[in-house]
Amino acid sequence: MKKVSAKFSLEKRKAIAGWGFISPWIIGFALFLAYPFIKSISMSFSKITDISTLDSVFVGFNNFLYAFTVDINFLPMFLKTVTSTLIWTPVIVIFSLFIAVLINGKIRGKAIFKSIFFLPVLLGNGFVLKQLLDMGITGTNGIITIPESFYQITGSLVGDIILNFIGQLTVILWKSCIQIVLFLAALQSVPEPLYESARVDAASEWVIFWKITLPMISPIVLLNCIYTLIDFFRDISNPIVGYIIQNGVKSLNYSYGAAMGWIYFLFIFVVVITVFAGMRKLIFYGGEK
Amino acid sequence: MEYNFRRRIRNLSAGWITVYILMILLVCFTSLPLIYMVSTAFKPFNELFLYPPKFFVQNPTSKNIRDLFSSMDSSVVPFSRYLFNSLFSTVSTILGTVFVASTGAYALTKLNIKGKNLIFTLIIAALMFSPQVTQIPNYMVVNSLGMINQFSSLIIPKIATAYSIFLMKQYMEQIPDTILEASRIDGAGEWRIFGSIIMPMVKPAWATLVVLTTVATWNDYFTPLIFIQRQSMKTLPLALQSLAGTAGSFTRSGVTAAAIFLTTLPVIMLYLSMQSRVIKTMAFSGIKS
Repeated sequence: MKKVSAKFSLEKRKAIAGWGFISPWIIGFALFLAYPFIKSISMSFSKITDISTLDSVFVGFNNFLYAFTVDINFLPMFLKTVTSTLIWTPVIVIFSLFIAVLINGKIRGKAIFKSIFFLPVLLGNGFVLKQLLDMGITGTNGIITIPESFYQITGSLVGDIILNFIGQLTVILWKSCIQIVLFLAALQSVPEPLYESARVDAASEWVIFWKITLPMISPIVLLNCIYTLIDFFRDISNPIVGYIIQNGVKSLNYSYGAAMGWIYFLFIFVVVITVFAGMRKLIFYGGEK
Repeated sequence: MEYNFRRRIRNLSAGWITVYILMILLVCFTSLPLIYMVSTAFKPFNELFLYPPKFFVQNPTSKNIRDLFSSMDSSVVPFSRYLFNSLFSTVSTILGTVFVASTGAYALTKLNIKGKNLIFTLIIAALMFSPQVTQIPNYMVVNSLGMINQFSSLIIPKIATAYSIFLMKQYMEQIPDTILEASRIDGAGEWRIFGSIIMPMVKPAWATLVVLTTVATWNDYFTPLIFIQRQSMKTLPLALQSLAGTAGSFTRSGVTAAAIFLTTLPVIMLYLSMQSRVIKTMAFSGIKS
């Protein structure tokens, strides 16, 4: 009996200490994530009547309707962001898988390749990348100098297409660094005996990739798809994100900014859930299941 | 021995040479913007206007960097002030983030507080959430706390992030409870256990957190843009960008490149000194999610 009560007091002491330990995080989370989150919902349904005191009245779905029916900028920017995201996400996932497979092969200098492909993460929130790309990779004042003879051989149209692809290649590479790292870790965790037995059965490397590697790393494929989607949507170089910030912060149109933010977020949420549901059947989970 | 030798020959077959060439090309494209940035930062005035432009600088000069510093000298606020602002806010954010995330993760994983599943769900939801939506209410919170134009606005809102506590939690879960039980029986308090057992064991995790937080805070352009209006409180990226003028404008592109070069240099140095640990931890926490 005495033993039980002693254990209880230890558990209780642990719980009290636990709340002490986590309270700084909870306070910060409540103030700067949870409260703004709830506040932005209420703001999106209201209209600010006095900007100095931030008095507001409830206007229902007016802000949302305004975005779709009156604002001529919102919808085209929104669609542009959506289409480019849906096009680039599969490209980036496939491309990063391809690079990860290459690095994971019997190649020398793995560590060097890994750290170079990871380098762009350091330039952080995309602003530096935007600045660099604004300086131009290709184009009239671009950084790749193409000799005149190149155009003479290919013709100007084909030359432009090639240049465009080269320009995009850097963007793709800069956007796929985290994905490459995640794929690499996944590839290394595939049990070696699976490969051994497949080779004994004389399976070609091509078949091994499709029948063993891909199913084994499929959870990470899903993770990377979702990561890429969110990363793209959150990118500040997206016109729509800039538009939301501009409306909300610079022109003090708080409630309309919040409404647009929510339309955008709900859309991201739907896309992520769809991808998740769609891919779930294709995912192979190892273990007891 | 002979088998090994034969394998090495086979590794150098045409297929492998292609792979190496491909990898080196990809590495070039990844580092292209960086190399171009460094090269542009040292280009003399006349080379910036060359057509077709040269990728590499022909006659390197430090004029751009000197221009940057002289336009700083002519401004009211000295360069050292911006440097101090950046250093101070970055170091404080790092210390705060590591402390809050580690204590929070300790409480979540080892102290069994009630509602830890709810908290964990909130963390996962917050990971998906795009910060643009809450930008405006966030500003209002910071404003009502009277933190506009203060260091606190650059530090406090960024401490309690979802990602940091998630990362720490993934690592702390690996520590066996028996070690903690043993030290509790020996009479160690929770703070003692946290400080002298937990933290040394999860060193890779918080080392990674240090690097990631440094990258995010040091390069951060938007937080100071929104919260700081007073010139003397601006951080390095914001100050440099405003002094360098708009990017993409022809005449100032050398100065802009110099500005970006100077801002990113410390982060790249830090990364190079800690790279392998960072990549490992990132991959690990990604896999476990």
